[in-house]
Amino acid sequence: MSQAKRRSVLTVNGEQHHVLAPAAATLLDVLRTGLGLTGSKCGCNHGVCGACTVLLDGKLARSCLTLAADVGERRVTTIEGIAGDLDFSAVQRALVESGAIQCGFCTPGFVITLTELFARDPHPGRETIRAALSGNLCRCSGYVKIVEAAEHLAGGVR
Amino acid sequence: MSDPVRAIGSSPPRLEAGDKAIGRAQYVDDIQRPGMLYAALLTSPHAHARILGYRLDAARAIAGVKAIVTGADLSGSRSGGIIKDESMVARGKVRYVGEIVAAVAASDPQTASRAATAIELDYEPLDAVLTIDEALAPGAPVLHEESASYVKAIQGGGHGNVVFETTVAEGDVERAFAQCDVIVENTWQTQAQHNAYLEPGGCVADVDASGRITLYASCQSVHHVQQRVAEELGEPMARIRAIAMRVGGGFGGKHASNIHSIAAWLARAARRPVKLVLSRMQDFEIQRSRHPARIWMKTGARRDGMILARDVRITLDGGAYADESPPVLAFALLMSRGPYRIANVRARGQAVYTNKLRAGSFRGFGNPQASFAGESQIDELASRLGINPVELRLANAMRPNDTAFGGQPVASCVLRECIARVRDAQREAPPLAPRNGRRRGVGFAVMSHISGLMGTAATVQLRTDGSIALSTGCVDIGQGSDTAMVQICADALSVPIERVSYAPQDSDASPYNWKTAGSRSTYMTGRAVAVASLEMRDRMLAHAADMMECAVVDLELRPGGVVGLKGVPKTVGFREIAMRSLFHSGGPIVVTHGFVFDGTGFDPKRASIHQLAFANLGVYTFGAQCVEVDVDEGTGQVEVRRAWCAHDVGRAINPVSCEGQIQGGFVQGMGYALVEAMKWNAEGWLITATLADYKVPGVLDCPPEIHPIILEDPDPTHPVGAKGIGEPSLVGAAPAIANAICNATGARLRTLPMTPERVLNAMDSRS
Amino acid sequence: MDYLAPATLDDAYRALEAEDARCLAGGQSLVAMMNLGLVSPARLVSLRRIEALRGIDLQPDGSLRIGAMTTHAEVAALTVSAAGPALLAQTARVVAYPAVRAWGTIGGSVAHADPAADYPVALVAADALIEVSSASGTRRIAARDFFRGLFETALEKAEIVTAVLVPPGAQGAGAAYEKLSPVAGDFAIASVAAIAGRTARLGVGGYATTPIRLEGIGVSDDALLEAGRALAASSEPSDDHRASAAYRRRVLPELIRRAVRTALIGARA
Repeated sequence: MSQAKRRSVLTVNGEQHHVLAPAAATLLDVLRTGLGLTGSKCGCNHGVCGACTVLLDGKLARSCLTLAADVGERRVTTIEGIAGDLDFSAVQRALVESGAIQCGFCTPGFVITLTELFARDPHPGRETIRAALSGNLCRCSGYVKIVEAAEHLAGGVR
Repeated sequence: MSDPVRAIGSSPPRLEAGDKAIGRAQYVDDIQRPGMLYAALLTSPHAHARILGYRLDAARAIAGVKAIVTGADLSGSRSGGIIKDESMVARGKVRYVGEIVAAVAASDPQTASRAATAIELDYEPLDAVLTIDEALAPGAPVLHEESASYVKAIQGGGHGNVVFETTVAEGDVERAFAQCDVIVENTWQTQAQHNAYLEPGGCVADVDASGRITLYASCQSVHHVQQRVAEELGEPMARIRAIAMRVGGGFGGKHASNIHSIAAWLARAARRPVKLVLSRMQDFEIQRSRHPARIWMKTGARRDGMILARDVRITLDGGAYADESPPVLAFALLMSRGPYRIANVRARGQAVYTNKLRAGSFRGFGNPQASFAGESQIDELASRLGINPVELRLANAMRPNDTAFGGQPVASCVLRECIARVRDAQREAPPLAPRNGRRRGVGFAVMSHISGLMGTAATVQLRTDGSIALSTGCVDIGQGSDTAMVQICADALSVPIERVSYAPQDSDASPYNWKTAGSRSTYMTGRAVAVASLEMRDRMLAHAADMMECAVVDLELRPGGVVGLKGVPKTVGFREIAMRSLFHSGGPIVVTHGFVFDGTGFDPKRASIHQLAFANLGVYTFGAQCVEVDVDEGTGQVEVRRAWCAHDVGRAINPVSCEGQIQGGFVQGMGYALVEAMKWNAEGWLITATLADYKVPGVLDCPPEIHPIILEDPDPTHPVGAKGIGEPSLVGAAPAIANAICNATGARLRTLPMTPERVLNAMDSRS
Repeated sequence: MDYLAPATLDDAYRALEAEDARCLAGGQSLVAMMNLGLVSPARLVSLRRIEALRGIDLQPDGSLRIGAMTTHAEVAALTVSAAGPALLAQTARVVAYPAVRAWGTIGGSVAHADPAADYPVALVAADALIEVSSASGTRRIAARDFFRGLFETALEKAEIVTAVLVPPGAQGAGAAYEKLSPVAGDFAIASVAAIAGRTARLGVGGYATTPIRLEGIGVSDDALLEAGRALAASSEPSDDHRASAAYRRRVLPELIRRAVRTALIGARA
């Protein structure tokens, strides 16, 4: 396995970073070990669990299925860039207040996914929410309270 | 600030939820240390083979390799749980594909991985046994020839591939069957389920100048990690410190792991910090699964519906190492009566070694297997008797002051209420519209479980500003124990939860706790917290009485950390009491309460019990679940549309957390029922070692409505009445779904998971 | 490993001449396989910067030309009435999950030729053409000829899938994609893509190493079930840990019936 490293420039949460990593390094790996942004989690490293989800130019992306070298000019948003330092976005607050967070390992991925959903649809219904969350696994909650958190935020549920 | 008098029964957001929501919560893999090395593992390609030798030169020659360990480096006794039959890396033999044979620490993950694959072993392959029947066949290859020499905390096995066997019996089964009008008898099969927590197992081992090792672990008990690592490394426990990080789920699967010892060994050898985090594939291959089981069960009743007898045989496939097989088997047998009044029961069981991944503890601990058979059989019995299955359950359900199987008295029992609540909730719910090509069915299941086991402790300390430092050894693996413990403490002292801090678990500092397991944290550690907090209250009242020159009986706690004189506005604050204790008289107010589960044990006059790993279990909890399913006539696919889960929690410390446990447990049980299965090929290779192959339910596979119904029947042995809810919610899902499928289609499924293929075949064989 | 991101097709062709070079499109399968250690190409040639691989255009003959780097999400968002493109859009909506659909591409899926993937089945039913290009020119291959076996296609060394051309299908026909998978968003264990009017044309996945094409099938329930039984009897379905061959055979007639019934609802609408 070649270990030759490549230089690239990544724009993460609005800041430019010069990174040096093997060409096969995933974005997840570079975020976590290169940039110290450990909020994105490695649950499977093969694209199924969703714990590593980030935004690339505002769209959902599996950072474990994205090569850091191939990010190019696309802007990366991670869980650390969702709100200001120690601030909470509405999505984060809704998850906290609804009791939707248990072990928390899947939570950053759910936050990112819901953030993308609410950015394009401020009032999603239950089925839209469920479809949006279909690529994020949670092993603790049975998903009910996560969906409820989103429904409360959408204002669609009494 | 939360209302202090209502700290129990309210649902403040979890203490750590904010950190988890913004990505700041620290899990093992988030740790970086200067000079940290990375470990890689080499695992066995053989299901069963003798290790003839190691060739390490090529791996040692790779630049950046700092330490290597193989079975040849180990000496002394083996380790493990009840039966000490394991070692952190294989010694002498390998017994399953994926068993760790060597580990390397190197300067970066790629180098470590390259070095691990450069290690060569010479093997002499041996015949393997992959199923219960192969393991028990005459002349079968034996996995543990030296079993007789193993240290065992329990006897009752050890011949051939039998890990353990035991019997629990009450009454006279043969005579009772002779009095039955209806007898049903059948066999059920269940599969290996993986815990599939979102965070794969891992740890970081650090070492100081004195050689003392600190482990940061994803685990279910720092004390257990410390003990196991000390044993493996031959170090006194004082030389090993274990610290729990945030844990991304455990469900029993992280109760112990060889990787902690391996990381510690490598760190000690390399004198550098070592990180060992498993890949998802490794986690599937080397940690543990739920036991596959074969259950034969026979139940008889009188025509009026009174169940007189049940006979049970359970065989568990334990995999290559004993791990928790003996207690899982014993618990499965104890749960096999179900929460019913059946006077004559005999439950016999065996756990066997096979050349596969060890099976061990997983939410439910033998109860899901036993209950799948038992609760399915109740429906079959009801059908034969012509009695409504809910009515049959109500008629035979345990009631307060009955005894559990084994003779333990059960003071608190709201099973009949649980059954009635789910029945009524389902009846009263607006019916879902029927769907073309789908058959609708309703199914019920009931369960009991325990909450207790072993020892635990809690320490509370009054700080100079009158706030409280609470410390326990209870690791929060996602269930919410940190918050619940703080709520119990705050409630006892009438302070807002913000005035109570909660220490992370550290074997150097935390009072002993056995494990986060057995649905025990809220009951056991919660009980220790309550007792310690109440004792602290009494000591503060004594100070206050001196300070106010009155009798303790004239004093009361007032919300917010104040002691008041009854009927008078006069008060002293916790802060003043703290100051007095620290600088004037009495000394620091520090209270520790520890105990070992002290409930009544089994009754040897009533039940015949051989060699159980425990003398008593815990307090009993009860529940009932109801599901509605749609079965696709053309494909056999089963969709759970709605579920109602009524569970007795004694007292809900944090109702939202209780609901989360119920909903999450139900879905994990639904995955067990319908889709999850670890599968091995004929060579013993796990072929479902990724999340692409081992499927767990996603949100679209789950019912949007899982209605938790919390019943509160305070347990008299707990100062605030609480009992556990971690496991029971998983137990009922599989039988309730099986019963619903049968209700919809007439087809009876007796094998898990109930895949579309099995459902369709069962439907076809009826027509 | 070495990584290149050429801006033009010509540069990409040159880059692909190296030993063991592979195209990187959306990466949603390739990077997963690399992470699992199943492949380790010596060179990756990213197609991300090549404008010529983007865009969806209506051709004079009514076909839709979908650039190879078009994502599943973009195809899923198409609002089209012609049966061929509508079939593709429906199919794209059930590929994996939102995050995979956001970056996974039609060209990548076609070139990867996973026997359990969704697009190949739909493309065969739609009688689509796969446009492939190399330094020596461009050729168009019928989808049914393009897929050759397990992860095998008609692509030659240094050839790139540049577009997929989807004919509109018969006037007034409807389309549907019926997929059976163990959990939502998973790969199919069996799938049927249908374009149906007076008769039906089908792509069937899971019954051979490549999608099977059937045409001129009568659209009565009896005829559809019979076609399914005949195919079940004559094909060799996959037999794996996800489902047995027997189960795949058992459900095929009903999957075909459902796909065509759903397609015909679309046809009438």
